[in-house]
Amino acid sequence: MKYALLLYSATGAWAEASEQEQAAIMAEHEKFTALLVERGALVGGEALHGPEQGVTLRRSGGDALRTDGPFAETVEHLGGFYIVEAADLDAAIELARACPEEIVEVRPVVESSG
Amino acid sequence: MKYLLLAVGDERPWAEAGPQERHALYAEWGRFEAMLAERRAHHGGFELAPSPTATTVRKHGGQVLITDGPYAETVEQISGYVVVEAASMEEAVELAGQMPSDVHVREIAG
Repeated sequence: MKYALLLYSATGAWAEASEQEQAAIMAEHEKFTALLVERGALVGGEALHGPEQGVTLRRSGGDALRTDGPFAETVEHLGGFYIVEAADLDAAIELARACPEEIVEVRPVVESSG
Repeated sequence: MKYLLLAVGDERPWAEAGPQERHALYAEWGRFEAMLAERRAHHGGFELAPSPTATTVRKHGGQVLITDGPYAETVEQISGYVVVEAASMEEAVELAGQMPSDVHVREIAG
């Protein structure tokens, strides 16, 4: 089964971190990625630029309403994600625990559709 | 540059949709992804199971708290994503405008 690990972090946490702190965070993610590769669990993943440059389009009738900036009014914002292969939810949660982020939402991926 | 198009919004219409409505919506997604492929802009994506299936892991000061449900208990939830190639945010927003759902666009780092 595939699972998405959605990573949430405080807005500005990355921007406010020193170069050394950023390098340490990157190194932790590299270690986590290496762990996933070793287990054959890495499917994909991306890191995102800050939410302040995000754009949201919401449809209403035939029109799309554009909003610039973060999507949700929450303290933390989506900062990136991993897609992992895991035998079951417990195995995915174990990977989420090993992931170097404070808040990780684990969501099953829909593997057959239509 | 790569951009993340997150399918977002109220999950209830989908949860309440019948087989025909689901089939029609999947067909719309198929057309959207075919358009991206034709423009060589498609870098993959996945549909996510609904937010009630989520589990959230929070770590703080050596403690780990595991709870059922998504990070944010809001009406609008992420239901999937597509990664696209675009020359600029404006082009990414143009692609997003053709996606068959509400959408949040973010630039991918690196």
